[in-house]
Amino acid sequence: MKHLFLTFAVLLAFTLPAHAQTYVDVNGLVCDFCAQSLKKVFSKEEAVEDIDVNLDTKVVTINFKDGLSLDDEMITKLVTDSGYNVEAIRHEE
Amino acid sequence: MKSFYLSLLGLCVLALPAQARPISYPSGWTAMVMNDGDVNSIHIHYSPTAYTSVGVRSEYRRNNEYQLNSVQMNNLLKRWNSKNSQANFYLKSGVGIAYSDAGDFDGETEAAGFTGIALDWEDRRYFTSYENRYIEAGDIDNGYMQSARVGIAPYIGDYGDLHTWLMLQVDHVPKSDEPVTVTPLVRLFKDVHLLEAGVSNQGDVLFNYILRF
Repeated sequence: MKHLFLTFAVLLAFTLPAHAQTYVDVNGLVCDFCAQSLKKVFSKEEAVEDIDVNLDTKVVTINFKDGLSLDDEMITKLVTDSGYNVEAIRHEE
Repeated sequence: MKSFYLSLLGLCVLALPAQARPISYPSGWTAMVMNDGDVNSIHIHYSPTAYTSVGVRSEYRRNNEYQLNSVQMNNLLKRWNSKNSQANFYLKSGVGIAYSDAGDFDGETEAAGFTGIALDWEDRRYFTSYENRYIEAGDIDNGYMQSARVGIAPYIGDYGDLHTWLMLQVDHVPKSDEPVTVTPLVRLFKDVHLLEAGVSNQGDVLFNYILRF
């Protein structure tokens, strides 16, 4: 039983995504065009399944494909390249 | 000192009808068709980055009866992003050819250039902008114009909704018979489409359409 549990835990560790979701607090999100810009830029990244931009809370939620993710430096670069600023990044493991 | 500041202001001026976001998202294209009491124009530009766009512009200026075809570059010189608002400072410049066959010009063609600045501030409820332009087109035309807008969103929609703005635009064209024009207008914005419509105090229709793709 113990071996079975350990085996299951090891298999699970290899199948879980590095970051299932990442939340980015962004400054400058004032209209739909802002959201469109971020969606266009992030959609080009292989690791990204999709993103959700909340104009009320100013939070961008990045949903990653299984086993893939982006590091904070890359996320910041993508947001900056879109014309906005990152205030904070939070990860959901 | 007063004359210095007035001269500086004079150097800053030359205006176009205020436009929404002269630069798109990276690798984005924009097509703009703008019409008001003096100018009909079409402008198509590409934004390689979120800070620069380059495109071609063709406009007909009815007061001076000439066509101006130009290459235009817009640069986002500075953006201020805060949690709930955004402000921008742009430089908009172009070079091209002016052509007129009206009156004394009789088919005259002149090299032309223009430059000007644009500033805006907005949050999800309020909008304000100012821009100017100086144009030099030899004997055909030269001078400056400036334009300002204020706007308010009567409701704040969610992403993907039809967004509405009520705006007031004031244009100042010193060489015009009516130097100051006031135009109340409505802006509708949904997905990649933006449409503006209004009627000026001189009875001229303003109609603009912008498509981003």
